[in-house]
Amino acid sequence: MSDDKVLIVMTSGPDTPRRCATPFFMATLAAAMDYDVTMFFTIDGTLLLKKGLAETIFPKAGGKSVGAFLKETLEAGVKMMACSASTELHDLVPEDLIEGVKMMGGASLWQIAEDCKTVLSF
Amino acid sequence: MGTLRGCNLPDDLYYYVEKHVWAKPMGDGVVRVGMNAVAGKLSGGKLNAVTVKAKNIGAEVAKGKSVATVESGKYVGPVPAPVTGILQKANEKLATDPNLAIRDPYGEGWIVEIKATQWETEKAGLLTGAEGLAAYLAKLEAENISCG
Repeated sequence: MSDDKVLIVMTSGPDTPRRCATPFFMATLAAAMDYDVTMFFTIDGTLLLKKGLAETIFPKAGGKSVGAFLKETLEAGVKMMACSASTELHDLVPEDLIEGVKMMGGASLWQIAEDCKTVLSF
Repeated sequence: MGTLRGCNLPDDLYYYVEKHVWAKPMGDGVVRVGMNAVAGKLSGGKLNAVTVKAKNIGAEVAKGKSVATVESGKYVGPVPAPVTGILQKANEKLATDPNLAIRDPYGEGWIVEIKATQWETEKAGLLTGAEGLAAYLAKLEAENISCG
């Protein structure tokens, strides 16, 4: 187990916009604290990684889009993984996802979680 | 005192311009650190929290590593160490009033103090004085940043 590795599991998606800002904010914050941060997207969370979709979702009317939160999180150096089974659920192929995202099976999630000191789930 | 594009940047401080952090030697090797007027502007002008990781106090931090985080509705990001050394203390006033870091950035709103171990070599990488501010101005112009 590594002291500086943290994992954020994101299951919320476009149906619940208000649940889609904090996970990115917390990930960016953790990166700013020099943690090694991974976000794993599954269930509806994976949809946020579809090219162009996050830009159309607003947690607060008139506020920043989820796409803007996501961009900042990537720029902070957070690694993003998409659950391969959930991409199937939503009929997404790897080419549908934004750049910088890796596809990963469920067994990999277990291995990352085992290696992280802290796991947050949203 | 210097004012660049509306940003108050005193010319007696040392600036780590990549992240708009200031450093000031306080004597006995101690360097006080805070965010400057440019950082205050970029953060949106209103902070929700300025936090120093408690377990880092007493530990060595390398130049460029995060010593604190700044949170606002518009921004979240690190305050990196402008110098290498032992992180000695955090400004406790910021826990109850994070906006001191913006209202009085060079006074009551300082963020941490570091006992610098390589000040003499590392200060060369920081901008200071009239020449330093001229270089800072060029950066602000290139990135179209102003505090007005």
